[in-house]
Amino acid sequence: MSSSRYWRRSLRSAVAVAALVVCARTAAAQPAAGSAATNTCASCHATLAEPKLSAPPAAFARQDVHRESGFTCIDCHGGDRTAADKLKAHDAARGFKGAPAGQTQIAACARCHSDAEVMRKYAPRQRVDQAAEYATSVHGKQLAAGDSRVATCASCHGAHGIRRVNDAKSPVYPTNVATTCATCHASASHMSGYMLAGKQPLPTNQLALYQQSVHYAALTKGNDLSAPTCNDCHGNHGAAPPGAGSVVNVCGTCHAVFAQKFSTSVHAQIFDRGCVECHSNHAVRKPSDAMLGTDAQSLCAGCHSGADDKGVMAATKMRGDIERLKAGLNRSSATVSALSNAGMEMSAQELAVGTARTRLTLARTEMHAFDPTHVTPVVQEGLATLAAVDKAGETATAELRFRRRGLAVSLGAILLVVVALAFKIRQLERR
Amino acid sequence: MSESADFPSTAAAGSFNRRTFLDALLTVGFVSTAAAIAYPVSRFLVPPASGEAATNSVVAAKAAALKPNSGLIFPFGSKPAIVVRSGDGELSAFSAVCTHLECTVQFKTDTSQIWCACHNGLYDLAGQVISGPPPRGLERFTVNLRGEPGAEDIVVSRGA
Amino acid sequence: MVQQVVDWLDERLDLSGLKHFIAEKGVPVHAQEIWYYLGGLTLFLFAVQVFTGILLLLYYRPSSTEAYESVQFIVTRVPFGWLIRNVHSWSANLLIGAAFAHFFSVFLLKSYRKPREMTWISGMLLLLLMLGFGFSGYLLPWNELSFFATKVGTGIAGSVPLVGGFLIRLLRGGDDVTGATLSRFFGLHVAILPAMSTALVALHLLLVQRQGMSVPLRVEKHLKPGERVRQMPFFPNYILRDVLVWYVALAALAALAAFSPWGLGRKADPFAAVPPGIRPEWYFLAMFHTLKLIPSHVLGFEGERLGVIAFGLVAVFLVFVPFVDRRSRDGRNSPVFTAIAIAGVLYLVVFTILAQIAS
Repeated sequence: MSSSRYWRRSLRSAVAVAALVVCARTAAAQPAAGSAATNTCASCHATLAEPKLSAPPAAFARQDVHRESGFTCIDCHGGDRTAADKLKAHDAARGFKGAPAGQTQIAACARCHSDAEVMRKYAPRQRVDQAAEYATSVHGKQLAAGDSRVATCASCHGAHGIRRVNDAKSPVYPTNVATTCATCHASASHMSGYMLAGKQPLPTNQLALYQQSVHYAALTKGNDLSAPTCNDCHGNHGAAPPGAGSVVNVCGTCHAVFAQKFSTSVHAQIFDRGCVECHSNHAVRKPSDAMLGTDAQSLCAGCHSGADDKGVMAATKMRGDIERLKAGLNRSSATVSALSNAGMEMSAQELAVGTARTRLTLARTEMHAFDPTHVTPVVQEGLATLAAVDKAGETATAELRFRRRGLAVSLGAILLVVVALAFKIRQLERR
Repeated sequence: MSESADFPSTAAAGSFNRRTFLDALLTVGFVSTAAAIAYPVSRFLVPPASGEAATNSVVAAKAAALKPNSGLIFPFGSKPAIVVRSGDGELSAFSAVCTHLECTVQFKTDTSQIWCACHNGLYDLAGQVISGPPPRGLERFTVNLRGEPGAEDIVVSRGA
Repeated sequence: MVQQVVDWLDERLDLSGLKHFIAEKGVPVHAQEIWYYLGGLTLFLFAVQVFTGILLLLYYRPSSTEAYESVQFIVTRVPFGWLIRNVHSWSANLLIGAAFAHFFSVFLLKSYRKPREMTWISGMLLLLLMLGFGFSGYLLPWNELSFFATKVGTGIAGSVPLVGGFLIRLLRGGDDVTGATLSRFFGLHVAILPAMSTALVALHLLLVQRQGMSVPLRVEKHLKPGERVRQMPFFPNYILRDVLVWYVALAALAALAAFSPWGLGRKADPFAAVPPGIRPEWYFLAMFHTLKLIPSHVLGFEGERLGVIAFGLVAVFLVFVPFVDRRSRDGRNSPVFTAIAIAGVLYLVVFTILAQIAS
């Protein structure tokens, strides 16, 4: 072709490209221009029979956080929303991407959500590193390796009808997170083919186990939204199981005192999975004193046996101390309530029993250093308090006995009068 | 309460002595039983030192005894409670029973927070949970000052 | 010294009529005279209740948030509060026992016959008032047992036909047992019932003084015409005996307060479940157990309703016994009513024991 035509065509392409770039940039900065009324995407898709095509725009129209901020279909899907003709609306030249999936989806969301300048306009407090975190996660790494079965943004957050995280109906609201993760992770068919490091198949019972845990109970029944669910231990967008050695740190974000005591103990060097060895990872149940000891129900007996085993001796000592304090508490509080019911003033003793009970809780905390010399002093303090309570109880019992004796004496006086009266009557009537 | 009767020394005085003896015995008996009733009743009528049942209102301490940025545990009925004076002199009082596992909390002067030693629960000076395992804030009580200026009592009360 | 006081009053009030009355007043002497003391015993125990009740009033607070704590305060902090409270609780039981014994002895001896019908009616009403005292007073400590016993007891009032629902609301001060019930029961216990009792006791005593003690038919029959039964002087013989009985009662109270003190129980929680084996005080047990045994539906009517109606009819019948028992009115033996009395005693004793065993 002639050089002028070449140049003209090049110029046209350059202008088109420049325009596209400018449009793309401005499109990234704000919702696409044009009145909201012209949205042929919605009006056309609403007429379609197939639910896969008609449902998403309907959901978007009903309730969606992006729509509320002024975004429309083309901000994620591209295309032309003023065109009534399908081919024109779906024109790749106008940026139509179809339904983004896989890496394309990540890129589509990250176009705004990883851009601090954009996010500052809509949600200044929101983080902008989700895509970067995602790349470090198991999901992200698998996706990069070509696995299309892993979760992407829309898998957890939805695509149309997205709600804010603090909306109770959002799939990533704290009480809903576990079920959202479980849509894939509890499905044996979906998880087939995935292996653990040791070549065992990836388990699919985590949700079932988690639902037995105290964390689940606290979250769903205790209305404690700070109770952990999947993302609190595994990470949010950078989801991966905590590695060996980091379990203590993960649990320790909330259970700080236990983590600190445990890390000073011998077990910190020995346990592969830290807290999980005794408390399990998903089915974390309410612990009991029976876990500590050397009998069949205890956990210590799983590794420790033999009378001269240091672990056996430590476990026996600590459990014995704790049981002694518990028994003392039961005895003393029973005495105190009996005396209180009998009418003695026992509020100071009730207070002291409460203090002793605090010592029991502290002893169970100290136990996580797995050293009896930490537990025994705390137990001794508790027992000393209880000894004082028992002494006060004895004083009260003595007072009760004193009252009884006093009444017995006045009973004597009364009976004396009765006898004297009887004699007096006899005397009167003898005459 | 047992009386001591004076026995007439002669038993040979006959019915007259016995009658007086019986009358004396009866009188002593009536008087002592009357005393055995009157004494407890008169003691009952005098109100005890504590005035009224300490369920809803308690004197925690003397106002002067509580310095700024300090806290004091005191008994409220049979449960512990804590009264705190913040750095700028404001008084507040809460139940000292931690909402996690019922350990007794304490005031931490270095961070001006209420802290539970058992599992590191932290509450702010409004009784709300800052961090740690407690699921709820501390029950808040009303604080009033009562008495002569300069020698006031801190009165902590709860309920309507 | 007593004589000086009497003389001083005589100068001003002319006590000659009173002195004559006391000097002349006599009490019949016969084999059954021991039953005469039950009336005085009941009066004495009632006086004990009034006395200890007034003392408790100085510290008790009739509100659902403070009642339990105030009783706890009385028992733990007030000097000898435990004694006053225990005497009040035990004397209440002894009072009702004495009242029933007095009632049955009068019933068996037919002392209700002419001319003592009014004494009988006032006495029957007093017995019902005493039961009201017991029922209302039982709620006042506001503990678990008393709360639920009141709930069950007032619930039974709902079985009264036509006015049942109204009665429940009247008794409870609402639809449920709440602080409103406590206020109402307190008012009943310390004001309404005492006022009514005072009037009725005054009438009852006046009649007894005016008409003298009734002599059993059996003794009357053996009298020759015009002969009066042997009497003992009221003062000092009968009085001394009466006081002796009162002192025995006092001894019993002291022993009970010492060896079987009343506990505080747990504070009532309206939202807690009814504790198993809840039942009313012993004097309501027989009636309670009977209602439990009646099948839920009898001849198409609600069993409990029939039971309540039956008890109501029995009460009305008892009030009017002097007018129904014509044979004793005419001075003749009345074996039917003797049988009814014995049956009544047996029924109460047996059913109370059965109720105790059942729980």
